[in-house]
Formats: sequence, C-alpha cells, structure tokens
Amino acid sequence: MYKRSGFLAMSIRHLVIWFLIAFAVFPIVWIGMASLNPSNSLITGGLIPRQLSFVHYIEMFSNPRHPFGLWIWNSIKIAAISSFLIVLMSALGAYAFSRFRFKGRRAGLLTLLLIQMFPQMLALVALYLLLLSLGEFVPWLGLNTHTGLILVYLGGALGFNTWLMKGYFDTIPKELVESAMIDGATPFQAYWRIILPLVKPILAVVFILSFIGIYSEFILASIILSDSEKYTLAVGLRLFVFGQYSTRWGVFSAASIVGSVPFMIIFLLLQRFLVSGLTRGSTKG
Amino acid sequence: MSANIIKVVFLGLTNALGIWAATGLYVTSNWVLLIVLVAGLVLLDIALLKKNAYPLRYLLPGLLAFGLMTFYPIVYNIAIAFSNFSTGHILSKEQVIHHFENVYYQPEGADRFSSQAFRDGDRWLLILRSQTNGNLFLGLDGELIPLDPNDARLLYENGDIIAFNAMTPLAVRDLVANLDVLRSLTFSEGENTVRLASLREYRAEKRRYAYDPGTEKLLNLETQITYVPIQGTFTSADGEMLDPGYRVNVGWENFQRIFQNRQIIGPFWRVFGWTIIFAFFSVTLTFALGLGLAIMLNNPYLKLRTIYRTLLIIPYAIPGFISLLIWAGLFNTNFGLINQFFDFWFQFKIPWFQDGLWAKVAVLFVNLWLGYPYMMIVCLGALQSIPSELYEAAHVDGAKSFQRFWGITIPLLLSSISPLLVGSFALNFNNFNVIFLLTQGGPPVAGAQTPAGATDILISYTYNLAFAMGRGQEFGLAAAISIIIFLIIGTISALQFRMTKKLEDIGENL
Amino acid sequence: MLKRLVVVMFMLTFLAVQGVQPHAQNNTLLIWADTNRIQVLEGLTEQFTAKFGVDVVLQEKDFGAIRDDMIVANPAGEGPDIAIGAHDWTGQLVANGVIEPLAFLQNDRSLYDPVALEAWSIGADIYALPYATEAIALIRNTDLIPDEPATFEDLLTVAKDLTDKEAGTFGILINAFAPDPFHSFPFISTFGGYIFGKNEDGSLNACDIGLGSEGAIEGATFLRSLIDDGFVPAATGYGDMTGQFNAGKVGAIITGPWAIADARNAGINFAVSKIPTIKGNTPGPFVGSQGFMINSFSNNKELAVTFLQEFLGITSTQVALFNVGDRAPALLSALAEVSDDPTLAAFAASAADGSPMPNIPEMSSVWGAWGDALSLVSSGESDPATAFTDAAARIRDTLGCN
Repeated sequence: MYKRSGFLAMSIRHLVIWFLIAFAVFPIVWIGMASLNPSNSLITGGLIPRQLSFVHYIEMFSNPRHPFGLWIWNSIKIAAISSFLIVLMSALGAYAFSRFRFKGRRAGLLTLLLIQMFPQMLALVALYLLLLSLGEFVPWLGLNTHTGLILVYLGGALGFNTWLMKGYFDTIPKELVESAMIDGATPFQAYWRIILPLVKPILAVVFILSFIGIYSEFILASIILSDSEKYTLAVGLRLFVFGQYSTRWGVFSAASIVGSVPFMIIFLLLQRFLVSGLTRGSTKG
Repeated sequence: MSANIIKVVFLGLTNALGIWAATGLYVTSNWVLLIVLVAGLVLLDIALLKKNAYPLRYLLPGLLAFGLMTFYPIVYNIAIAFSNFSTGHILSKEQVIHHFENVYYQPEGADRFSSQAFRDGDRWLLILRSQTNGNLFLGLDGELIPLDPNDARLLYENGDIIAFNAMTPLAVRDLVANLDVLRSLTFSEGENTVRLASLREYRAEKRRYAYDPGTEKLLNLETQITYVPIQGTFTSADGEMLDPGYRVNVGWENFQRIFQNRQIIGPFWRVFGWTIIFAFFSVTLTFALGLGLAIMLNNPYLKLRTIYRTLLIIPYAIPGFISLLIWAGLFNTNFGLINQFFDFWFQFKIPWFQDGLWAKVAVLFVNLWLGYPYMMIVCLGALQSIPSELYEAAHVDGAKSFQRFWGITIPLLLSSISPLLVGSFALNFNNFNVIFLLTQGGPPVAGAQTPAGATDILISYTYNLAFAMGRGQEFGLAAAISIIIFLIIGTISALQFRMTKKLEDIGENL
Repeated sequence: MLKRLVVVMFMLTFLAVQGVQPHAQNNTLLIWADTNRIQVLEGLTEQFTAKFGVDVVLQEKDFGAIRDDMIVANPAGEGPDIAIGAHDWTGQLVANGVIEPLAFLQNDRSLYDPVALEAWSIGADIYALPYATEAIALIRNTDLIPDEPATFEDLLTVAKDLTDKEAGTFGILINAFAPDPFHSFPFISTFGGYIFGKNEDGSLNACDIGLGSEGAIEGATFLRSLIDDGFVPAATGYGDMTGQFNAGKVGAIITGPWAIADARNAGINFAVSKIPTIKGNTPGPFVGSQGFMINSFSNNKELAVTFLQEFLGITSTQVALFNVGDRAPALLSALAEVSDDPTLAAFAASAADGSPMPNIPEMSSVWGAWGDALSLVSSGESDPATAFTDAAARIRDTLGCN
C-alpha cells in the first residue's frame, strides 16, 4: 500500500506528526510542570514554574493513608486481569458470531450493542445493591472486593469489542478452518490453535482499549471499593480534587504523571502486535 | 468418551451447587440473583447438552456477565421509573414503619440517669442516678425502686459507688460485650419508659407514634393527629407530611411529569439539536484525525514510527477526569495558558466558558483530544485486515493513491468498523463526563426559564433536572428520562446500523 | 453407570456446601471522615478501642460524596455508624430517615455555639454534634493593604490604586461570578436579600424566595458594578482568586478559613477582618457548620453516642480539629481556648453577623438557578433585575409553588 516517498513528502509528514504530538502532549507537559511547582495551584501563570521541586512526589509516597504505590498496583492488577478476561470472552463470542451460521446472528449482536447504549445513570445504585446481595453468598465477589469489581467490568466484554474482533475474524479465509477440521480438529481446537494466533493485532487492540478504559474508570470503582488499601489510582485521586475549595493540585499532578506510566509501558510492549499477522497464501493450492 | 465423563461431572457439580444456592436465594427473597442463577443454569445445560446449541458455549460467559452487569441495571432502571424513588422516598415501607415506631421523645419532666450495671448470676440490676436531682434508683425487673443513698448495701469510695450488695459494677468492656442485655432492660417511670441511651446512660422517654397495620394509619401519640399513607408519605388531614416516606409504585406519573413540565419540554429541541451536532462532530473529527494518523503511522518507510505512536497515544493514558480538569484550567478565561497565548499574540482573550459559541468550540476541541487515540488504535488494527494483494492489484491496474484510498481503504475499513462509529456516536450522545466536568452544561441561556445551558446535552441536562430539582435526588424521574433517552438514541442507532449493513456485506464476502 | 455417577456427585456437593456458614458480626464502629479530619480521629479511635474493647474502622471518603453515599448505604446496612458532614445536608438526610437525632445534645445545649446547633436542627431535633463553624470574611494582604478598611467604599478606593492590568495585580478579587452563589451571599444579604423567608414558627418557607427581592437585586447590581468599574475580571473562579492571592498579586479576597493554610504556606502576610459595610449596611455571610452524625440504621448507636460524648464533644478534640481545619470550634470551651487567635476572632465576628445556610432539601433547587443568574449578570447578557427575578420564578416553578 505504501511506496517510498521523496524527502520533501516525508519531511512534511514528520512535521505534521510533530505538530500533532505537541497538541497531544501539551497538557501533560503542563501538568508535569505543575507537579514540579511547590505551590498548590494549577493556574501557575506560566509554563515553567519559578522554583522546581520534587516536594509533591515525595509527599505522594510518604502518607501511609494514601498509598499511591499500592493504588497504582491495584489499578494495574485489576485492569490487566479484566482486560485479559475480556479479550478471552470477546474473542470466543466473536468467533461464534463470525464462524457459526445460526439464526439471529447479526440481529443478536446488534441487539447487544444497542442495549449497551442505555444511559447508566442509575446503574451505580443497581450494581451496588447487586454486589451487596452477591457478597452475602459469595464473600469474595461482594462489595469492597477486587474480584467483585472485575466481575462488574466483565459485563462490558460482549459489545463493541466483539464486533471489532468479528470484523477481523471475518477476513480469515474459511479454507484454513476447513482444512484443519478435515485433519480431525474440533472447531474449538481450530479456534485455539489456528485462528487466535492469526488475529493477534486485534487481540492487542482490544486489550489496550479495555485496559485503559478500566484503568481510568473511577465512578464504579469508587462506589464499590471502600477500604483505602483497595482503591485504584483513579479512585484515590478523586480524594484530592473533588473538594469544592480544597483541591490539592500539587500531589494530584504528581500522581497523574506517575500513574500514566504503567499504561505507556503496556502500550509499548503491545505495539509490536499492531502489525499484520495474517499470512496470505498459506492455503493456496 | 472421557470428554463425556468430564461434561457430565461438571454438569452434576454445577447443577448441585446451583440448586443449593438457589434455595438460599429463594429463602432470602433475592429475586434478581435467583433469576440470573436459574437462567444461567438453564443456558449452561442447553449449551452443553444440545448439539445444535454449540455456538452458545462460546457466548455463555460473555452473556452471563452481560446479563448481570449490563442488562440487570437496565431492568432495575425500568422498575424505578415507575416508582417515586427520590428524596423522602428512599426507604421501603417496612423500614419507614420501623423508623416511626422507634421515635422517642422526652416529655416534660422526663428524667435522665447515669447507670451502673450489676450482674447477679442471670439477673441484672442497675443503679441509676438521676441527672436532674441526684436521686438514686434501683432498676430491677422493670421497676424503678428508690434507693436511699445511705442504704447499707452500698459501698462508696470518693463519692462513687463501688459495690452494691457485695457485687461490683461491670467494667466498660463487659458493658460493651453485653450491650444486648442492657438494651433489653427497660423500666417504667410513670407513663414514660426508661431505656438505654448510651453505654452508661438511661433516659425516660415516650414513644411518639403508634402504627396500626390493619388500617395503615400512623397516630402521633403526643398530638393525637392521625396520618394516612398517600403515595408513600404519611399525611395528615391538614396536609402535613411526615419524613421519611417510602417508595411506592406510581405508574406512569414520572413520564407524565416529563411531558407536562415546561422546564423539561421547553428547551428539548435546542438541547437535542446540540446533542446531535456534538455527537456527529465528535465522531467525525476524531475518526478523521485517528485515521489520518493511523495511515501515516502504518507506513513502513516512516522512521521513528514506534516512538510517534507511543507519544500520540498519551491523551489516552491519562484518566479522563484528570485531563478534563487540566483542560478546564487551560481554558480558564483570565489566567489560562490558552488565553495568555491569544492575549499575547492577538491582544484579546476569548470568553471560553462564558460565551455559548466558544464553549461549544472548546468542548468539541477537548473531545477531539480525548477521542482521537481510540480511533487511531482501532484504525491501526483494522488496517491490518485489509489484504495487501488488493493494493498490489490496484497498483498494477494503475490506480493512484487517492483512488486506492477511497476505493479500497475506506470501504473495507468502514465495513469492519462502521458499528464502532455508530457506537462512538451513541457514546458521545450520552457523553456526560466531558460536558459535566468541563462546562457543567453552561453557560446559561438568558431568558430561559430552565436550567439548560448552551453546552448541555440531553443527558447532562436531565441529570441536572433529576438531581437539582424539588428536594434533591429524583431517581424515579431520572430513570424515566433515561428510558426516553435510550429510545431516542436506540432508534437513531438502529437506523444507522441498517445503513451500515451494506458496507458490512462487502467485508464478509471477501 | 454414568447416571449413578452424576447422582453421587450431586449428593456429595449438596452435602458439602451445607457446612458453609455466613460470617458473624462483631461490635465494630465504622466512621467516615475526610482527609484532614482523619488524622485527628486516628488517635481518638485508638483510645476508644483501648478503653472499650471495640474496634473502630476509619474510612477516608471524599467529603462531597458522603451525603449521597449515606443515602444509599445506610438503609442497605453498609453505612458508617458515625460520619462527618456539613449542616446543609441535614434536610436531605432527615427526609430520607438516615440520620439519628441526638437526644443528649438537648441537655448539653449550653456547651455549644447556638448558631451551630441551629444549623443542625430541624424542628427541635439536633442531628449532629457540631465541631466547627465557618463563615467567609475579608482576607487582605497586609503588605498591600496594611490597614483594615472601615467601609467597603474605603476598600475600593485603596483597591483602585492596586489594580493594574499590565502588571497583573488586583486590588480586590471575588469569585462570586464564577458562578459561586455561596460567596455572593454577603452582597445579597447586605441589602436585605434572603433565600427562604421564615414562617411564624421560625421554620423556613420554601415558597418565599428572596432572590427576586429588591435587596437581592440591589446586591447583584453592586456586584456587577465591581466588574464595570474594572476591579474584578468577569469570570474569576475560586482557584484564580486564591492562586493569585497566594502569589502576592491581590490586595484582598473574600473567602473562608479553609483558604488560609495555603496563604500561610505561600508566605503571604495576611490579616482577616469582617467584610466592611456596604453603603452603611452590614454584610452577613452564610454560616456553615460541620459535625458528626450518627446513622439511624446503625446497630451500635449507643456506642456511637458514647464515642461522640466522650471523645468528640471534648475540648481537646475540638481544638485539635481547629488546628487542622482552621475553622472556629463549635464547643464553647474549645472556642474560648483558641480565641486569642486574631484570624479566628475575625472569622467568628463575621459569622456573628451571618445566618446559617438553609438546610432544607429544597435548597437543591436554589443553587443552580442562583448560579445561572450570576453568570448571566457577569456576562452582561441580562441585567441584575431580570436575571434574579427569572431565577426566583424558576425556583418557585421547580418547587411547584404556584
């Protein structure tokens, strides 16, 4: 699809990208500067603060009531486990919707998508009460548990992720599966051993999207988690900014910067999957 | 054969566990969980036992989670929409009746006592000292017996009683351990009842209300006024209403309120119009930028691609509410960096959140920043699924890059991600966070008798109504409004799905 | 064979799970508090546990979320036994029956600031043990404005010289137009404006909305004049006001005791005084009170009452809370102990001129309309009379008053 371009064309591309990078990164740079500014205000009046100091970063890790390190770990743990499970469940579902011809296939999937458009203003109360009841029977799935929270996040697995994957699955030639089944494999084995490795890019995409969605989520998490050791980073950060007249911008900025590092690492690691894994021509002949 | 054994054992186990759990749920009237459990079990059995329900096995985990976490709240929402669940009607009827039956007041001349508890085997007795006149009483078997301070059975030290009849008073820790017993000790003082007030205090009190389950009337024993429950609130003949009330079914009333209320219906079209514009431009702009970046970053000849991708994904790495607070600060009219830039170069400051039009621009701009990484990632992934032979064939046929783009890339891309565009539209239609955290729906529109601001979208506007109306939280109203919003966006999306069906067929028949 | 296997597995599992017991409940007190107050409570809870043998669990919550969370959590049995709160939550919490009136306070009335008790009262019942009262007052940078201004007009004269757009300095900054109705109240009340009128028995009449009254409109007009005369940039927010003050660029601001910690840390030399008289009238700000409430669904009410009486209603605790929050203690003995602090004395004097923020649930309908009116006045889209009359009409409409 691409051919080698001339120097000018390439330079223009680089320039455009750098301009967009500035657009993307600018607010982060600003909050980074705020995190190094010892005063507690976000409106610093200038980009570079007069004094540079790491006082907020130190403060961040020194309050035993606010274990930022633990919170970040909680966020990573919950987001990683949930995303992994979501990818599994979503891929299973996408395979079914793509490979099996059963009645109400498209309509079924679209209905699921439509249902998810319901505004969930009151979902908080409903899920709170649900987990409360559930927790009476299965204590490790109730309120104030990480497993309970993960279960809540899994509710969104079958949705647009599934659709995205299904579209990708559709492009895998049928012959691949058929030839495997002729060789004696069950549909599940064909799925697990042949299809899945081929769709790595989309698995990575769904993992990344789910991870960041869950990592940033704070509304459900703050309703469900009540012990401060169990908080995720997003929930913990809320404590710092939602007082009407008491926003502690300094520590908030520092924590935001530190908190975004895990996601960047995950993204860096998963980037290499974002290239095509499809090998065309493997069933020619 | 072995697969069959595993299947059977598994089914046996899960069904047994399921039935045990179901009986537990039935006994405690946990209907929701019961229904979900039974449905889940039935589906599981069908999936594993019926041959042609094979696909169900793949869908079951996802469906169960979906049912519980997405579908159930919707059912709950619908149930609430037909109730008056709101401030003053949060509790159930039993809770409210229990509340009133436990309201006590101190009548004129009622006494309060400091207490010491003594235990004589299974018998408990208290020594109560009145806080008003210092009189001593022995609390025994429901009676208050006056006690002479010089009674021989009392032993004093420094003015405090340290023994009675050779028994020592219970230490605080023992009092705590026996709280239930202490609560059960009540005594009559005339018409009043003397009850436990705190760990070492008793008070003489009177019940204020008596409830008659037969007639459902509440009688105020002090004023002799009767209250009858009307729509969940105990109301007197004069119209005096008691708090708290309880939640009851009110049928279609919430929906009627919506359609009859000027404050809600008045700005509807204006807010709806802006909601559509906001959603449309959000999707279009983020998709355009995301796709453009994806195509550029997909170019194997572009050096530093990986670094670029990582840097460009940064808006996505910051949790939304943090970024929104940062952007609100950047757009600060008087001191924000953006206006400092404009002031320096162009000598004026833009009234970002004070002017309706500029507020809209700011909101779209921020949403673009927030949303393009998602589109970029999705496009990067979807672009991989376009077979390269198509491009090669087109190149051989002499098609220019422009033609290749519109003839191959766009149709195939849309075929796989058009539902996501529909989904993104729906998401932005209901994008409460961005509006609320950035502008709170403002700035207000002059002359409007309603709380709808210039950047309010349907959901932020109705949230405002539901939680800043009347006496505070109006969950029932909010639930009804949610249903209506769902009908609107559901219809729009269903139509959009129809339109994109054609695009999908191209992809499937590749 | 297989069938028998199934049945056996079934029975084994069935029998095995019979032994599962629900977990038992112990005596534990759960307390919800915010970040600042929790430090003070930690020491107290240890003492409580040592003395009474009862575990106390402290959960740090976002202050603004406590009210709404209690409404859902308390009836569900998951609420805190004791929670910290602001007095204007009383109406909603009592309407939902989730907090308990504190009978013991009736006998201890003389120990507390009567305004604080009034703030937490609905009818004759008091719903929290107050620990602080607060009101906004004038905080001035003594390097820029060394003398306490006698009248607001004097203040403006001094401020005029300090206001320099080029240098970015301001004589006075207020955030009333952010919109922040709370901070605008002194200007409204100074000319006779009010929120809810009073009935004969002293209770609030939710249908008598004072925002449309002449006094309120005159107050709004005065506020507008501050923008027109160039003192205050139109959209100044709370963060702007305090941020600029802490950077030493503002002569005076009007806000509450919660802001002085940052000013202190920024090294600003400041002094607090009552808001000066405006056209001869004394501005009365809103008075707020914070206190400790008890959950009406608690299983440990008596223990909670004991904790309140023996550990929170005492001088040392209230002084400790003052030290972390800078707000005047509500317990009179504690107030006496710290009253030599001039800052505190000034805030207290300001509060003495003020009136408690209404605590009835109908107040929810007021903030939005009032804020919108302020926005429209500041942007110039409406004149004060129209904006405020419309706001009052809108509130009456929402409450179904007509």
